[in-house]
Amino acid sequence: MPKDASDALGSGLNHSDRTGSGIAVKAVYTAEDVADLDPVTDLGNPGEPPYTRGVHRDMYRGRLWTIRQLAGFGTSEETNGRFRLLLDQGATGINCVFDFVTNRGFSSDHPLAEGDVGQGGVAIDCLADMRRLFDGIPIDDVSVSLVLSNPVGAGAIFAAYLAMARERGIPWEKLRGTLQNDFLMETVVLTAPNILEPAFSFRLSVDVVEFCTQHLPQWNPISFAGYNYREAGANAVQEAALVIAHALAVAQEMVRRGHPIDSFAPRLSSFFTADNDLFEEVAKYRAARRVYHRLFQERFRPQDPRSSRLRFHVQTSGSALTAQQPLNNVSRAAYHALAAVLGGAQSLHVSAYDEALCLPSEAAALTALRTQQVLVHETGVTRTADPLAGSYYVESLTNEMERRILAYLEEMDRLGGLVRAVESGWVHRELMGTSYDREIAITSGERKVVGVNCFTDDVPIQIELFRFPSALEQQRETLANLRATRDQDEVSGALERLRQAVVGEENTMGPLIDAVCAGASIGECCDVFRALHGGWQQPLL
Amino acid sequence: MPLIKVVMAKMGFDAHYRGAMMVARHLVQRGMEVVYIGNRLPEEIVRTVIDEDAQVLGLSSLSGNHMVMVPRILALLRQEGVQRVKVLLGGVVPTEDQRALLSQGVSAVFGTGSSLDAIADWIEAAIDHGSDAVHA
Repeated sequence: MPKDASDALGSGLNHSDRTGSGIAVKAVYTAEDVADLDPVTDLGNPGEPPYTRGVHRDMYRGRLWTIRQLAGFGTSEETNGRFRLLLDQGATGINCVFDFVTNRGFSSDHPLAEGDVGQGGVAIDCLADMRRLFDGIPIDDVSVSLVLSNPVGAGAIFAAYLAMARERGIPWEKLRGTLQNDFLMETVVLTAPNILEPAFSFRLSVDVVEFCTQHLPQWNPISFAGYNYREAGANAVQEAALVIAHALAVAQEMVRRGHPIDSFAPRLSSFFTADNDLFEEVAKYRAARRVYHRLFQERFRPQDPRSSRLRFHVQTSGSALTAQQPLNNVSRAAYHALAAVLGGAQSLHVSAYDEALCLPSEAAALTALRTQQVLVHETGVTRTADPLAGSYYVESLTNEMERRILAYLEEMDRLGGLVRAVESGWVHRELMGTSYDREIAITSGERKVVGVNCFTDDVPIQIELFRFPSALEQQRETLANLRATRDQDEVSGALERLRQAVVGEENTMGPLIDAVCAGASIGECCDVFRALHGGWQQPLL
Repeated sequence: MPLIKVVMAKMGFDAHYRGAMMVARHLVQRGMEVVYIGNRLPEEIVRTVIDEDAQVLGLSSLSGNHMVMVPRILALLRQEGVQRVKVLLGGVVPTEDQRALLSQGVSAVFGTGSSLDAIADWIEAAIDHGSDAVHA
């Protein structure tokens, strides 16, 4: 018998008349609510400015979103196995997640790393690991997302990927994929020892954008990680505003470095969450596309219509999933995925039902993949573009989201831009503030979470947890091997050239590729950055 | 009654600090003093507990490194003669890990979905009455 039985009768229904980000919602919307909406200037057609209705003309009829499920744990061989399984079972893109040690650009044998090697993602220390990771994977044919969140390590690890591709005889122009490479991840969203200064982290991220602009025309060198801003505490308005502010900051810096807007802007990409409040999420995507287009037009006057086009990957919310009654998460993730598709995502990862308990087991990973396939093949929602267009509610909500996003962007402008807003601790405080309000609402029961603060039970959690052996020993061997077989002078020379590039404000990618090919470990490359610009204290409590 | 002092730390490379921040903020709201030190080695964590003369050590584990890191911290606390400190663990901790760590000296485990007030209440009761290990 579920607790809160009276709730079953509806007396405990969440009658909140506000969306997750606090927008007041009426009981009924009518034509009057959208009387001022101009279908030409506010909506346009899908695939045309202002892109409210989506970034492609026939949307999913012409091109389905990429089914891009995350994989990454243990050693490169183990993760390679999961890649193959997912591709075999119908995934259409690769999405690789790295352990925290790798993602932060440290070696697996670092004193702090012992409990984290291969946990939460794959461990990669050098070029040899990268070869094993993509063994047998047709990287010239399938699009590869490398979730290298932090600029400190993104360049070095991507350098290993590029070196591997070159060894395989694949020209870089043929490579398709995405890097996260997001300085907010490094300085705001995540914590770590020895963090890079925000301005330098930002600079490294733009080095990668610049390099890809010149050498990898099909690669998305950055993915503004709104999903993670949200998981760190942001609401939907903040998520969208931070993504757009970040895109504008990168564009501004690239232009300052002498690159015409149309040479790089079409390859800027974004990454959003899909969370509980279904219509708010749909409105968020639509408003974000419209605001992005309008601001890029206004500030940079691009000639290429693709330069103001907001393309994005969606991951369904991890933090909305619960440890209690884990099978509820299958339905949560399905609702989230629906919101992403109704909102016009280009690529989608559905989170697994054991998200709050462990890394995805094979069973949970496959269920998540099937959730996408049900969406594609059974629900019919892909038949037409932007199906919610014209809805009195959704258009009203889209308009309101736009107003709030613009207001938030103005506030960041007043602070002197995004990098300043991070340095001052403003972004941290904003996210922690929103997060705390939400936690209090859950703790008080005002915000209902099924299985956690209502409809709870005492049934013990019966999910088989995914466990796997530590990758530490293998990584220690790999590193020992690396050091034993390389020309130490060559490595030292390459690392010195990298240091000079940092000091001389040159692009670091070339020297990184040389260093990795010479046999420098990822950790050694990133130590160069930390020695010069590390030690930043996150302005938290 | 003197202020209850809590040291809060992340272990190893565990990158997710939101939960720890929420607990830290709430404990401050509830009138406690919190020293948040971020990602530190076990030796550094124990050193801080001693230097700050804290009654409570809050450890946050979202990355799964708790079975490696927590026993080491417990051993160091014993070695330094400060095993009186209440060690609380929060985050994603599977049931069998909880059992193991509670038997090794962790005072309480607050998994995902735990109420912020419940954590604060537990600390107040434990410091007032010196309660034994509790599975929360």
